[in-house]
Amino acid sequence: MGCNCATTERNIYMPRECLITKTRQLTRTEKQFTLQLKDGSHFTYQPGQILEVSVPGYGEIPIGVASSPTRTDSFDIVVRTVGRVSTAVNARNEGETLWIRGPLGNGFDLNKLRHQRVLIIAGGLGLCPTRSLIQYILDKRQEFRDFKLFFGSRSPAEQLFTDDLAAWRRSPAVDYQETVDRADANWAGNVGVITTLIDRNEIPRDTRVIICGPPIMYRFVMLRLDAIGIPHENIFVDLERRMKCGVGKCGHCQINNLYVCCDGPVFSYDQVENLEEAFS
Amino acid sequence: MKTYFLPQHELPSFVSTLLQTTRVIGPVAKKHKFVFARLASADELRLDYDVTILPPKKAIFPQTQPLLKFSPEGYEDVGTPQPQILFGVHFYDVKALDMLDEFFTDGHADRRYLDNREATTIVASSIQHINERAFFASVGADVKPRGHDAFLTAIEGGYVYEILTDKGEALIKHGSFRAATGDEVSSAYAANAEALDKCPQHIYHSTREIGRRVRAAFGRDEVWDELAEKCFSCGTCNTTCPTCYCFDVQDKWNLDQASGVRERTWDGCLLDDFARVSLGEGATDNFREKAAQRFRHRVMRKTSYLNEKLGGPACVGCGRCAIGCVPDIADPVRIINRIMEG
Amino acid sequence: MSKPKVKVAFFDFASCEGCQIELTNLGDTVFLGLLEHIEIVEFREVMKETTSQRIDIAFIEGSFTREADRPRLESIRARANVVVAYGSCAATGGINALKNHQTDYREFVYGKDAEMPHLDSFQAQPISAAIQVDLAIPGCPIDQAEFARIVSDVLHGKAPTVPNYPVCVECKLRETVCRYQSGDHCLGLVARAGCGAPCPADGVPCEACRGMVDSPNQPALLQVLMEKGGLSQLRAETKSRLWTARFRNEE
Repeated sequence: MGCNCATTERNIYMPRECLITKTRQLTRTEKQFTLQLKDGSHFTYQPGQILEVSVPGYGEIPIGVASSPTRTDSFDIVVRTVGRVSTAVNARNEGETLWIRGPLGNGFDLNKLRHQRVLIIAGGLGLCPTRSLIQYILDKRQEFRDFKLFFGSRSPAEQLFTDDLAAWRRSPAVDYQETVDRADANWAGNVGVITTLIDRNEIPRDTRVIICGPPIMYRFVMLRLDAIGIPHENIFVDLERRMKCGVGKCGHCQINNLYVCCDGPVFSYDQVENLEEAFS
Repeated sequence: MKTYFLPQHELPSFVSTLLQTTRVIGPVAKKHKFVFARLASADELRLDYDVTILPPKKAIFPQTQPLLKFSPEGYEDVGTPQPQILFGVHFYDVKALDMLDEFFTDGHADRRYLDNREATTIVASSIQHINERAFFASVGADVKPRGHDAFLTAIEGGYVYEILTDKGEALIKHGSFRAATGDEVSSAYAANAEALDKCPQHIYHSTREIGRRVRAAFGRDEVWDELAEKCFSCGTCNTTCPTCYCFDVQDKWNLDQASGVRERTWDGCLLDDFARVSLGEGATDNFREKAAQRFRHRVMRKTSYLNEKLGGPACVGCGRCAIGCVPDIADPVRIINRIMEG
Repeated sequence: MSKPKVKVAFFDFASCEGCQIELTNLGDTVFLGLLEHIEIVEFREVMKETTSQRIDIAFIEGSFTREADRPRLESIRARANVVVAYGSCAATGGINALKNHQTDYREFVYGKDAEMPHLDSFQAQPISAAIQVDLAIPGCPIDQAEFARIVSDVLHGKAPTVPNYPVCVECKLRETVCRYQSGDHCLGLVARAGCGAPCPADGVPCEACRGMVDSPNQPALLQVLMEKGGLSQLRAETKSRLWTARFRNEE
């Protein structure tokens, strides 16, 4: 498989400096950063590609780009505080610096999505990398046919990008539907796991489906998509693994013979469905 | 290129001369075992070694290696390496280095590896003593070593020095070499053929057949549970393997608490935390939770996953994993035979 | 340095204070380097001063073996931003926990003085049994390099980590000849690394002074100690208790 990573430096481990132009605390643990390359160059990437984001002394973490390359002045990432590096990244604020390597890996193959019906199924933090594609489709809406977006969260308080969600709810450009596993007092919407959204919709068999969410989600979503009869080459998954180098060397993200960092993180389902350990 | 002869008694002065100008790393004794180490004098060199504890890859891909330097302002490159000579490498370890060359060049060229590789002159040497766990004659037999610059073969009365590259040729001016005779070249050929003939352990299946059958055994949990029952997840089979190249990356501050290094350290897929990710609030998920899954991953990687890229298995038959594994469950010969028996 | 120095104090409980001694062996470069960034406000092995003020980092050595020690521990906790239990006694109960499996130790050790009231104690427990501990660094004694790294991490607000792989990894990285290949036995197969494996390098088997990894293969250890290490079954079973008695207790 090919790889669309960009490592311009002679040392593939050399990060590039970014200015944090804006930050926003999305939830208790998730923070959004809007970044610009400090050397003034334009950051080019494909929706779905990843970055290695770092703070000197703390290390690097792989993060999917959360904005579309159609929005050219800056780009977004969302970092959840889970460990040592993410804690250090999330301690940074507007006007300060973050470092990135990338874009790395293969994002969404837009040639397979253009002029097609598209359904994006995102769970929890899975909305971040798919947001790059959502924005892309909305910005080039005429290049795509029907566009549905299903988003599931554990609770209303854990919903990300609430401004975006509000806009998508109103937008005629996307059929946005959402659900939460557990409602709170103010929630008037759907309650239940994300597959309930699939059940209440008519999904044509020629739809291109993108799935991104926690590992458990894939199995149940796939059962529904198989019942509809969607060919596996038309289903795209965005996988997550432990990663260190991001350039296909260190071995941590390997699933069988594939490196998630280089061969993915986006795979068509038929590429990975028979690979043991991909979804177990 | 040409083939030369160096009389037995001239070897020490050849090596001594090399040592005066260049860092030379060769096999030396450590208790009753051998290790590759920087030579302080020519008489430390033990070309009669059977196998070393760690493979010579450490001279090019060190156990811990800086990738970058950092300061609060950002990152900078680390320096470029000095030339070095890796002396007395057995052919199976040359094959392993060939594989590492492929891994670190493929896709994104890793200059941290390749700079060291290019600064290294490799003088391979014939195998004078064979470890009882070696199976180098029957694994990837059609994959030939290519990455060495010269090949030194011990024969009666001295050494035949076969030159493969300019770097190999550049060394002969430091010793009392003369052109080898036809008989000496024949003797060297015979000595290396004999090492293959005498290799004690054998795998009696083709690479293709092993790759196919081992891969097909992926789902046979009972086999993997049985094979890994005594596994300590200590990673010795990874750490001592000449073709393993996985690594972890960590940042360390210097004493000034402001600057520091980002460095990589050998990691191993048998170790418990190799594929573990943080989920936050202390929770983790491990993509290969059981020792048997990790054990299987290694076997798959050596016998099957990388074959297409390498044109052979990611194993050279050195026997280090078999020697190092205390419960003695890591020997590829026994693992493959167990799987092939059904 | 313009930043105020981090206030660090060292405290000891049931222990030999060997970890404090080990710190004094850090050497001028490291110790003086660290002193650029930290101010030591209490350290019984090297200074007379004590403190009742707020502390940034409290390093506690020794295990919790007496109820009488609880108020002092609670007072340290109340004053300290970060509490580090360092050394095996503090981190796991350490070698002191051997007594948890015995009943006659007082008579055995103290003879006719066995009933003296100041010898009253209960089972040896880690400091975490009395107060909340932010980090536990095992080791008997602690490893100097690991200590320096952990201080560095704490200074930067980076959660320090202790390895969860066996000592075998560190032996192999430094190419130590395996004890089992010298006709000996060793607990390095299950022992938590981080020490740099100095003992096998000196020809001494690892005794797992840092405790065990998270998932030690104990049935296989017993088998290996007997079959490869030549120990009797009784000795193989009791062998690994020296520093891991409390681990056994918990299982």
